[in-house]
Amino acid sequence: MRAVSKAKNHSIARKSLRRTIFFVAAILFAASTFDAYNQAQLAVVLILFIGVLSVTLLTGISGQLSLGQGALMAVGGYCMALLMINQNYSLWVAIPLAIVGSALAGLLLGIAAARLTGPYLAGTTLVIALAIPTLANRFMSVLKGDEGLPVDVGYPPVWFTNLFGEPSYEQWQLYVALPFAAIALFLASNILLSRTGRMWRAIRDNETAAALSGVNFSRQKIFVFVVSATFAGLSGALYGLRGLVGPSVYPVSLSLLLLTAAVLGGIRSIFGAFIGTVIVVFLPDWIDAVLHQFELSEQVSNFMPALVSSLLLILTVVINPAGVAGTHLHKHKHK
Amino acid sequence: MRNRASLSRSPRSFISTAAVVLAGALALSAVPAQGASTPGVSATEIVLGMQLPQTGPASPGYNKVDDAMRAYFDYVNSKGGVYGRKITLVVKDDTYKAGLTVSTASALINKDKVFAMVGSVGTQTHISVIKDINRRGIPDLFVNSGYSGFYTDPKKYPTTFGALGTYVVEAKILGKHIKENFAKNTVGIVYQTDDFGRNTVEGLATAGVTFTAKKTAATFIAGTQGSGLDAQMQQLKDNNVDVVVVGAVASAFAAAVSSANKIGYKPAQWIVISVGADATTFQTILGARGIAPAVSAALLAGTISASHAPSPGEADDEFVKAYKKINDEFNKGPDKRWDNNVLQGMNIGYLTTSALLGVGKDLTRPGIIKYVEANAAKLPSAALSPLGYSTKTHEAFTGFWIGKYDATTVLKPVDATRKVWTTDSAKGPVTELKYTRPAIAADALPKVG
Repeated sequence: MRAVSKAKNHSIARKSLRRTIFFVAAILFAASTFDAYNQAQLAVVLILFIGVLSVTLLTGISGQLSLGQGALMAVGGYCMALLMINQNYSLWVAIPLAIVGSALAGLLLGIAAARLTGPYLAGTTLVIALAIPTLANRFMSVLKGDEGLPVDVGYPPVWFTNLFGEPSYEQWQLYVALPFAAIALFLASNILLSRTGRMWRAIRDNETAAALSGVNFSRQKIFVFVVSATFAGLSGALYGLRGLVGPSVYPVSLSLLLLTAAVLGGIRSIFGAFIGTVIVVFLPDWIDAVLHQFELSEQVSNFMPALVSSLLLILTVVINPAGVAGTHLHKHKHK
Repeated sequence: MRNRASLSRSPRSFISTAAVVLAGALALSAVPAQGASTPGVSATEIVLGMQLPQTGPASPGYNKVDDAMRAYFDYVNSKGGVYGRKITLVVKDDTYKAGLTVSTASALINKDKVFAMVGSVGTQTHISVIKDINRRGIPDLFVNSGYSGFYTDPKKYPTTFGALGTYVVEAKILGKHIKENFAKNTVGIVYQTDDFGRNTVEGLATAGVTFTAKKTAATFIAGTQGSGLDAQMQQLKDNNVDVVVVGAVASAFAAAVSSANKIGYKPAQWIVISVGADATTFQTILGARGIAPAVSAALLAGTISASHAPSPGEADDEFVKAYKKINDEFNKGPDKRWDNNVLQGMNIGYLTTSALLGVGKDLTRPGIIKYVEANAAKLPSAALSPLGYSTKTHEAFTGFWIGKYDATTVLKPVDATRKVWTTDSAKGPVTELKYTRPAIAADALPKVG
């Protein structure tokens, strides 16, 4: 039995590794053909993809609705910025420590949230997201209020430039985000294919049935919060490295953006998380490219991305709840 | 089952679909590279970029600055442009959220290939991009923020130049007025909890106006003032504050007055930092809350503020007359009503044109930075004080006059004849400024020579 289980675990790891290698290759290929602006946008896709994965795991797989993932991103961002500014840590040290900080925040949130479901859980997490500006101003001397903490990816190390040449700032942003996104993808893929993923899905589908099958759902609900917070914290730390960690970088709308991306792409799928992230990041550019041909006032064009993404969200929920990934699957099944 | 199947889908299909989406993104988003050696400059065009809140809670009033700037540039273009080059202003809406400011700056720099950033609005939003803009050597001209930290150390931000006097300078001048005229009153403050607000508090403290812990001070959080400032106003009322200083954006001042009105709190005097005291913005915001123009005008009347430029209500001022005419003819924005924001936008357009003309036909990024830094005296504008630019500071206007709003929402000097005061952003004294503003040309175009 143990040998069978071990072989299966290896198989899962191999499958996840293949996915990750393909993913990294595709991103590097795309980056090589993109101009500087789209490279920066691709870096944002990678960063937010990790955040959307946190929603996929928490909401899509384990069935716990969170409207406050942006707050957990802020925890990661603030931890990293404080370590970089006050302790002079490099981002390569600060980010892993920030992930630990986010995981602790996730643990606290998970302990509280384990008793809550549905709208009560959503409301609680939303309040946490709303509290970020207040906390930043309450602890002004440390968190610097609305002004925030300026941090960035800095410059590549000498060994990197010796080996690969001098990257542009946008390329460097991308190269910093890519390994973290790859690790996140590998871990998420492993979790979903493993026994843990099956337990989370069982909790989502029916808590009583899961308990009867031997799943300690209270412990698992806390665990999923910790894992999800880890992903969100990593995403938040990388998001802050774009220039600033502050309340206006992690507004409530960021939490809703992550959820929108997850739903549009397909909330139960890693593939959907990626597609959804690409849609929400590039949608304003696509709309801009289309509207560029028309003489629309700024009053109209400024609201178009929000309007179109809202319409897409409504249409997805009503017509195709499984999102883009679900459509993809549907076609495959009918071939 | 469906989910299980989705997870076991082949990696090949994942990668193929991902590649298609990324290729689509590229096809729709990519822009052809420009061949010019200086980005944003061709034989026929100069492309400038700007970011500001065109939408969102902090947008009222400030969302008119870009339309006014564009109107002035369109006027310049109608007269042949700058050495034959038309000025194009590309504007991005950052909704006053720093996370978005990073993206809009990236779009302006990498996609629109702007030559320079001009007139960007916002302190906390600009903090998120100022380092990157400077690192790339992009001119960051006439920033609409009075935060002294952007300008007082040019070695830190060599490409950034202000378009306002600093909040410290303005607060020191207002502080002197408070000390001389309200020494017997209880003075309280509502300030924005960022560098803007803290600069205000710092300037007032330098002038000797300090606040006792939380007894007489209240704060608000930028961006949330839409829900009102009832608690802060109640706090000031409970502490018998009769002179309220506001160091915040216009929407916050409007929210403060609205909240005070609601709870029946009538301080004897409001004193407001200039960027928060625009009359039309104030009336527009209160109008949206159901307060009639006549009532909001009455609420504003008597408010003390400061300005580096003439009041937009000074119909006889030659710059006001010229700018107003251009605004009437060229402003295509949704709200072209003449006010402080439009005047400021026009003035930045005028200053930018001056700088572009001053550099000459060979326009480069280092060239314009060097020119602006070394030729403050050659860059006159509607302002009633000179620019302070030098190798030691990139602060803009060094002087302010103090005025009081009358019943017709016009800011009028508190002195019988207008006195302009000047000081620095450090501990220097406040003294009277003697400055004669150069006249505007008949065609309202800057003459540099």
